[in-house]
Amino acid sequence: MSSAALTPPEAARWAARAGLPLPDERHCAVAVTADHIHSVVAVLRELDFGDTPPAGAFRAEEEQRDAAV
Amino acid sequence: MQPYELSLAAAAREIRERRLSPVELVDSVLDRIEQVEPHVAAYVAVSAEQARRTAREAERDAARGSCRGPLHGIPVGLKDLIDVAGEPTTASSRTRAGHRAASDSTVVARLRAAGAILIGKTHTHEFAYGLTTPQTSNAWDQGRVAGGSSGGSAVAVATGAATFALGTDTGGSIRVPATLNGVVGLKPTYGLVPRHGVTSLSWSLDHVGPITRTVDDAALVLTAIAGHDPRDPASVAAPGADYRPRRDPDLTGVRVGVPRTYYFEHVDADVEAAVRRAVAQLEALGARLVEIDIPMARYVQATQWGLMVPEATAYHESTLRTVPELYQADVRILLEAGELMGAGDYLRAQRARTLMRDAWARVLKDVDVIAAPAVPMGAVPSGRETVTWPDGTVESVSDAYVRLSSPANITGVPALSVPVGHDAAGMPIGMQVLGRPFAERTLLLVGHAYERTQPARSLAPSPENAGTR
Repeated sequence: MSSAALTPPEAARWAARAGLPLPDERHCAVAVTADHIHSVVAVLRELDFGDTPPAGAFRAEEEQRDAAV
Repeated sequence: MQPYELSLAAAAREIRERRLSPVELVDSVLDRIEQVEPHVAAYVAVSAEQARRTAREAERDAARGSCRGPLHGIPVGLKDLIDVAGEPTTASSRTRAGHRAASDSTVVARLRAAGAILIGKTHTHEFAYGLTTPQTSNAWDQGRVAGGSSGGSAVAVATGAATFALGTDTGGSIRVPATLNGVVGLKPTYGLVPRHGVTSLSWSLDHVGPITRTVDDAALVLTAIAGHDPRDPASVAAPGADYRPRRDPDLTGVRVGVPRTYYFEHVDADVEAAVRRAVAQLEALGARLVEIDIPMARYVQATQWGLMVPEATAYHESTLRTVPELYQADVRILLEAGELMGAGDYLRAQRARTLMRDAWARVLKDVDVIAAPAVPMGAVPSGRETVTWPDGTVESVSDAYVRLSSPANITGVPALSVPVGHDAAGMPIGMQVLGRPFAERTLLLVGHAYERTQPARSLAPSPENAGTR
């Protein structure tokens, strides 16, 4: 683990702030898995995005919900 | 040859010419299910009586000369994330106990309209969040993984327990099990096949598509299920098309990109050899091979996880708080840890996706398709967690199975997996053909042209005889 690794109490606190109270016995495993996920996605910080927008799509007009098959 | 052994196209021909009735076909497939199911456990539920009833109606229609098309009377297995009105969509999860779908998903409504007969719901890795489908056994070796997450669908098609099936693909979940069980899988372009009524793993990466015995069959299914439905916000208003390739396709002038980077790295030697042989076959059919480099390869896994992890956690927000103990351990921990990912990481993944889509579009200006391995290695023994590559690198089995599939989920480009041989253990190997958005016809042409050079593919060896290798 890097020096920035989450401790189990930190993982529990972050999860609680996200609205997910974790039982004590989950703190350690969640911290380890969250750290692993973080190590994978942190690579994206190397990229220079410039003005690149996110890929999410949004249309101002609501879709017609009664489409025929 | 028994009816359950027929490809979709062959069965359709027999039904159209009145040499086979839908009742005979459905009975044959139901008998086959009884025979293989104790060994492979592909199905969550089989709707035998309903299927027989629908088959009798299809038979009456056929006798009157009223055939709805090539899917008329053909039995289909549906991954159990796909809603069928009045039936539970279990997602192979205990959290879905008591679920009952209010209406048909778009793809089911379209399959019914095309005359297909719903024969059962097939197992998925729980909520599609995994690559092995542990409830189900590989069609070729019951001691090995089925692949996932559409493992039940692929095993059903490979064993003759369904003439074709539908799966979903968020990071390879159609192509991985199709490859590991020696059948064809197609992940269509993002937005081509509507996902309305299909349980989501990750909204921005999910696709629905066919798993079939042949490329020709995949084209027939795609023709029935593709097309706009505004109830899926990603659905694209593309005109209807007949995707079936010409009978004797000519690949003269088709430019096939062969990756110098990424797709042949950390790949089993048998897989590389089989795929390169298949690529040479494409060249012999007239294609021109062009070496290419895969852009932004270093960021594939980070982008896939950056999109999928928070989206999956968001989908399960409510049940993760009310019944967390009902999830399988591997899925629960990913959903919980996903709560800790920040918006910054998610937005970086979305912006990386924009860059990657644009970079892939530039590569696909110079070639018509890309041909590469579908999966780095064949089906591993059940329970194996990691693979060690010759340079000493250790990779989790799930990461390895996703690695070559996820670029098509991130960029949205179509990707077809086609069986091209077997490894030293006798496990199937697949080639992946990727192309420009909405260029499914080109992919299917290339896949079909290759398939025509090979002997007709047989079903997996009968499980009651195959045992474990």
